[in-house]
Amino acid sequence: MSNNKDARRDEHRPDVGLYVKVFAALMVLTMITVAISKFHLPRPQAIALGLFVAVIKASLVGALFMHLWGENKLIHRTLFIVAGGAAILILPLIDCVMISHRITSPADVASQHPHEGGHAATHEEK
Amino acid sequence: MSQTLNPAAFMNNPDTHSGVTNAKLGVWLFLASEIMLFATLFTSYIVLRMGATSWPWGWDVLNVPLATLNTVILISSSVTIVMAYAKAYDKNKSGFQGWMAATLALSFGFLVVKAFEYGAEFKLGIGPHTSVFYAIYFTMTGLHGIHILGGIAVNGGLLYMSSVKEHWENPLFLGRVEGAGLYWHFVDIVWIFLFPALYLL
Repeated sequence: MSNNKDARRDEHRPDVGLYVKVFAALMVLTMITVAISKFHLPRPQAIALGLFVAVIKASLVGALFMHLWGENKLIHRTLFIVAGGAAILILPLIDCVMISHRITSPADVASQHPHEGGHAATHEEK
Repeated sequence: MSQTLNPAAFMNNPDTHSGVTNAKLGVWLFLASEIMLFATLFTSYIVLRMGATSWPWGWDVLNVPLATLNTVILISSSVTIVMAYAKAYDKNKSGFQGWMAATLALSFGFLVVKAFEYGAEFKLGIGPHTSVFYAIYFTMTGLHGIHILGGIAVNGGLLYMSSVKEHWENPLFLGRVEGAGLYWHFVDIVWIFLFPALYLL
């Protein structure tokens, strides 16, 4: 019985007007995402902008549709731990890939071994 | 008989001292494991993409208009399921059933569009074996599609349960609808990131 009372206390009062506004915002943001990709921006800028819009969309869904805005602190703490775990999982791996990408890129090899590059150029000039 | 061995007594166990029902906490813990699952897949995607000598534009190799349509469908279904929750909150059974049926229709619509997309690719001999890009594309969209199927099963179950008086009048029914909604919104959020990552950037 107590759990039933708990359930009643734990429910979120729906706000239909807000849901409609969020839906409209999500549609507009989807169109913006597609438009960004149509502009053929340089890839780093396109990725940064696209992910920025995706984060806004996900935040709207999470905060207002999933009622994370005003949710119990226990849920917030759980998600915080998960986000930390995901960061521990992802960030070092991405860092390793970026380091290996830098090490093996032609520009980096040339800057790390200027003598070899210069030597090659001398040969080519000859 | 000890009270802890009685399932009914366990279900009615006094509050959790946290203000969150056991069911909702369970759904969030499940979603936490799902976040980790998709985090590993997104990590794989980033590592493969950064390690590749070239990476195709989604516009060149995938059907972006169909994927955009699917994005609209999935966002719409997020609204319909939250409307179903609102109707369940108001104890409006026909309203709940109507919005939940709309959610199911949109879910099937998503799968039909995805089937057209996959079908066109298979017709051209494109599959996960074609390239690293297509391998990660089929893995991520396929796993997401399986999650859509899971959502259809749960939402269909709730629609059926709403037609049974005993379930509809159960005080825990609203919590079940909210749990299903949380899962469905999570599936929507995954697509919100998949769409630009695979199709647009």
